[in-house]
Amino acid sequence: MKPRSQQFWSQIPRYALLTVLATLFVLPFYLIVRSALMTDAEITAPGWVWFPATPHWENFRTLFDDPDNQMRTGLINSAVIAVVTLVFQTLFSSMAGYALARIPARGRDFVFGLIVATLMIPGAVTFVPAFAVMAFLGGVNTQWGVIAPGLFSAFSIFLFRQFYLRFPVEIEEAGRLDGLGYFGVYWRLLLPNSTSIMTALGVLTFIGSWNSFLWPLVIGQDPSSWTVQVVLSTFLTAQTMHLAQLFAAVAVAVLPLVAVFLVMQRSIVEGAKFSGGKE
Amino acid sequence: MHDSDPLMNVSLTRRQFLKTATFAAGVLLAGCGPKGVPGARVTLTQWYHQYGEPGAQEAVQRYAREYTKLHPDIAVRVVWIPGDYSTKLGTALLTRNGPDVFESSLSLPMVTAGEVVPLDDLFTPEIRADFNPKDLALNSVGGKIYGVKMFDDTAALYYRKSILEKSGVEPPGTMDALIEAVKVLNKAERKSLFVGNDGGVGSLLTIVPWSAGSDFLVDGRVVFSNPRTAAAYEKLLELNATNALLMGAPTDWYDPSAFTQGLAAMQWTGLWAYPAIRKALGDDFGVLPWPALDAQGAPATFLGGWTAMVNAQSSQIEEAKKYVKWLWIDRTDLQKDWCLSYGFHVPCRASVALTADALRAPAAADAVHNLSVYGHALPPQWNSAMGTALTDAATHILKEGRPAAESLAVAAHKCEVVLRRMQE
Amino acid sequence: MAITTPIVKKTPAVRSRPRPGATLAFWAFVAPSLIGLLVFTIVPIVWGFLLSLSHAQNTIHPGHFVGLRNYADMLTDEAFLRSLVTMVLYSLFIVPLTWAMSLGLALLVDKAGWGRSFWRTVFFIPSAVSYVVASLIWRISLFNGLSFGFMNHLLAPFGIHPIAWIGTVDPPWYWLVLVTLRLWLQVGFYMIIFIAGLQEIPKTLYEAAAVDGASPGWPMLRYITLPQLRNTSISVLMLNLIGAFQAFDEFYNILGGGGQSAGNASLARPPLVYLYSTALGDQDFGRGAAGAFILTALICAVTLIPGKLFGLGRSEK
Repeated sequence: MKPRSQQFWSQIPRYALLTVLATLFVLPFYLIVRSALMTDAEITAPGWVWFPATPHWENFRTLFDDPDNQMRTGLINSAVIAVVTLVFQTLFSSMAGYALARIPARGRDFVFGLIVATLMIPGAVTFVPAFAVMAFLGGVNTQWGVIAPGLFSAFSIFLFRQFYLRFPVEIEEAGRLDGLGYFGVYWRLLLPNSTSIMTALGVLTFIGSWNSFLWPLVIGQDPSSWTVQVVLSTFLTAQTMHLAQLFAAVAVAVLPLVAVFLVMQRSIVEGAKFSGGKE
Repeated sequence: MHDSDPLMNVSLTRRQFLKTATFAAGVLLAGCGPKGVPGARVTLTQWYHQYGEPGAQEAVQRYAREYTKLHPDIAVRVVWIPGDYSTKLGTALLTRNGPDVFESSLSLPMVTAGEVVPLDDLFTPEIRADFNPKDLALNSVGGKIYGVKMFDDTAALYYRKSILEKSGVEPPGTMDALIEAVKVLNKAERKSLFVGNDGGVGSLLTIVPWSAGSDFLVDGRVVFSNPRTAAAYEKLLELNATNALLMGAPTDWYDPSAFTQGLAAMQWTGLWAYPAIRKALGDDFGVLPWPALDAQGAPATFLGGWTAMVNAQSSQIEEAKKYVKWLWIDRTDLQKDWCLSYGFHVPCRASVALTADALRAPAAADAVHNLSVYGHALPPQWNSAMGTALTDAATHILKEGRPAAESLAVAAHKCEVVLRRMQE
Repeated sequence: MAITTPIVKKTPAVRSRPRPGATLAFWAFVAPSLIGLLVFTIVPIVWGFLLSLSHAQNTIHPGHFVGLRNYADMLTDEAFLRSLVTMVLYSLFIVPLTWAMSLGLALLVDKAGWGRSFWRTVFFIPSAVSYVVASLIWRISLFNGLSFGFMNHLLAPFGIHPIAWIGTVDPPWYWLVLVTLRLWLQVGFYMIIFIAGLQEIPKTLYEAAAVDGASPGWPMLRYITLPQLRNTSISVLMLNLIGAFQAFDEFYNILGGGGQSAGNASLARPPLVYLYSTALGDQDFGRGAAGAFILTALICAVTLIPGKLFGLGRSEK
C-alpha cells in the first residue's frame, strides 16, 4: 500500500483530465444561463461577455407575457403528458409484468412472445403508420393522441417481468394463506414492494416523455396541443427570433428536469443500469 | 410526484398512487374537450402561418372579432402557426380535426384528394375581373377556383445605397456584375450579401433558373433539365465561392434582421420586410429584382402570397365560405389594412391596389413594378416532393460541386415520376 | 428506450400450481397493455403494410393497390439511398466514439478516489436534456456562424474569421456539430452502464494478475477489464447503434427537415427525416410506409445478425 498522499499525487493527471472534461460538459448549461439573462443586443454584441453586468430576469416575464409565444401552453401540455404517461405506463406495465411472471395461464407464452416481438420493432420507425392509425382514430391534434401510444411499453413490461420473477415466492405464498387472490397479492404485496423499480423506471419515463419530440411533432398540428419541445423547435423556424426569449425558454424547459435529475439521481442511475441490462 | 424521497425506497403508498392516477386521468379528460366558444352556434377554426411583422396576429384576430360582431352566432378561432406550416397544414387536412378555413397555396393533390371545396360561387363576373388573372389561374384546376387569393407577395434584392456608393459599385444588373460587386464590398465584419444560411439553395432555388429564362413545369411537362438551369446554378456556385455571402445568421432570408443590423450590405428578402427596413435604414436602401444570368436571361422575382381556402371535411362549409367571402372579397378596407399596416403585401385586386398609396413610396414602388414585369410562379401541379428533388439537385451542385447536368437529370426524372403518379 | 438482444431471452417463468381464476386474472392484468400494444403497434404495422402497397397521395387510407411499386420507387430514389448512406456513415462515427468515450469516462470516474459521485453527476447530467434543447444551444450559441457564437469567439484570437459551422461543406463542419451534440447527450448515460459493469468485475481477478506480475494500467485493461466488459460493451454498442439509426431530432432542428424547408437539410438527411418529409411533408403515405418497412428490415438485420454471429444473449455469468 502506498501512502495516502503519494496516491493522491499520482492521481493529479486524472483530476486534471476530469476537470477539463467536466468544464466541457458544463459549458452548454453555462451558455443557457448566461444568455437567458442578457438582452438581445448583449447576446449579439461582438465582444464576448462572460456574464451580464445586470442579469435581465425580466426575460422570463416577457417570455410568458408574449401572446405570440406558446411556452405557457407547451409547459402545461408537457407536464400533463409526462405525468399521465408516468403513472399509467408504470401501472399497466407492472400489471402485465406481474401476470407474465407470476400467473400461470394458458396463452401466457404466446402473450410474452408477442411482447418480445414488438420489442424488436424500432419504435421511431413506425411513426408513419402510427400516424395513419391515430388520424383514423381522431387523435391527431389532441393531447390524448400524443399520450396514448406512450402508455404501453413492451420494454417496461419486460423489465417489470424480470423484476417480479425474482420476487420471493414465500411472500406471495404467505399472502395466499391470508386469503389474498391474484389481485390482492398484486395490490397489497407486490406494488408496495416494487417502489424502487417503479421510481427508477418512472423517472426515466418522465424524462423521456418530457423530452420526446418526433411523435408530438407529428401529432400536434394546432399550437394548443404542442409540447415544450415542439414549441422550442419552432423558435428555430419562426419568422423572427428573439434570442433572449429563446434562451429563457430553453432555461425554463431544462432547469426543472435538471432539478428532478439531481434529486432523483440514485433512482435514475438504477433505472439506467436496469434498462442497459446491468441489473 | 414532488413528495418523493431521494432515497431508493420511496414512500409511495398505494393510496397516493391511486390519488395521482385519478388526478392524472382527470387532467387528461379535462384537456380533451372540444374547443368551442360559449354563446356561439358555430365556431370556425381559421389557420394562418406565422407572419413575422409586429401587429399582424392582432390584426387577423381583430378581423375575426369583427365578423362575430356582425354575426353573433358565429365565432372564429384564429390559430397562428409558427414553424413548418405547410407540413402541419397538410397533415391536419388528412384528419377530421383540421381547420375550417385556412391559408395555403393550391396544389393539385389537394383537389384530387378532395381536401378543398370549389369557391366559384363566391366570384361574380365583376369580382373575377378585378382579381389579378395570374392569381386566378394559379388557384384553378380543371376550370374551378379553389381559393380566394388574399394578396401577392414578392421579394427583392435590397441594397444599402451608401455602402455601394462608397465603394463605387453600381447596383448590379447581371449575375456577373453581382459577383464583382460582392467581391468589392466584402469586409471581415460585414459581409456583402445574405441570401439565406444555405447560400441561397432555398431562397433562390427557382429564382436563378427563372433569371436564366428557364422554367420548371410548363403545360404539364417537366422542363428544368436544360443547360440554362445548369448554368444558373453554376453561377450561383460561383457567387458562393466568393466567400462574401453571410452564412450562419440566426434567422433566415425571410427576416430582414441581417440587413437592418448591418451584417450584410445586400439581402434578398421579401417585400413584407419593407416597413422594418424603412424604419431601420430610412432612405438608405434600394431594391432590385434578382439580376439576369446574362444577356439572354432577364431579371426575376417570384409572385407569391397566400390563398384562403375552405376545408372539404369541415362540418360548416357554408359558414366557412361566407366568412372567406366577407374577409377576402367584400371587406376591401380590411384587405388594405392587412396589406399595408404590418408587412407590405401587394393587393391582388386592381381596385384595392389603386388606393394602396403606401406602396408608392420609394423602393416599394420599384418592387411592385418588378413583380408585375418579372414575377414568376409555380403551377398547382408542382408539389413539395418535386421541390425536395430540385433542392437536392441544387445542393449537390452548389455544395458538393457535382456536375449540374447530371444532377438536374436525376431530379427531373424523379419529378416526372411524381407528376405521373399525381395524375393517376 | 430501445432494446438490445441480450435481454430478449426467455427466462422460464415461475410455474406455480394454477389457482382458480388464474386465467381470468391473467387476461385482466395483461389486457390494458395488450390492447394498447395491439392498437398502437400491431394495427399500425398491418395498416402501414397495406399503405406501402397502395398509392396513397394525400390520404391515410390504403385501397388503391399498386403492388410493390412504392418499394421499387424508394429503392431507386437517390435521396432515400443517400439517407441510408448518411445513416451508416453517421453510425460509423458516433457508435465507436460513444463507446470509447463512455468507457474512458467510466474508467476515469470509477478510479477517482476523491469526489467520485460529483464527477459522475457532472457527466451524467446532460442525459436530462432533450435533443431539441441541445440543438438550440449548439446551433444558436455554441456553433453560431456569427462572431458572437462561442466557438467563433474562442477562435477569434487566432485570427480565424467566424466560421459558418452549419452551412459550410468544405470541410463539412456540420458533422462536428452533430456528433459533439449526440456525444454530450448520451456519453454520460453509457458511462453509468460501464461503471456498473466495472463494479461487477471481481477484485480477485486483478489481485491474481498482480501476483502473476502483471503491471497495472494497459495490460490489466487489455486482459482483464475489457474482456470482462464484453457483454456490457456489446449492449452499449447495440443500444447506441439502434439510436443512431433512428436519429431525427438534432438533424431536423439543426439542418432543417420539413417538406418545404430547404437548403441545409439536403446536406445530411437521415432516413427518419426523409420519411417525415415524404409522408408528412409531401403527403405520400404509400412511399413513406414503404420506406419505413425497408428501414425496419435493415435495423432488424443489423441488430439480429451480430447476435447470431457472436452468440449474443449468452449469459454473462
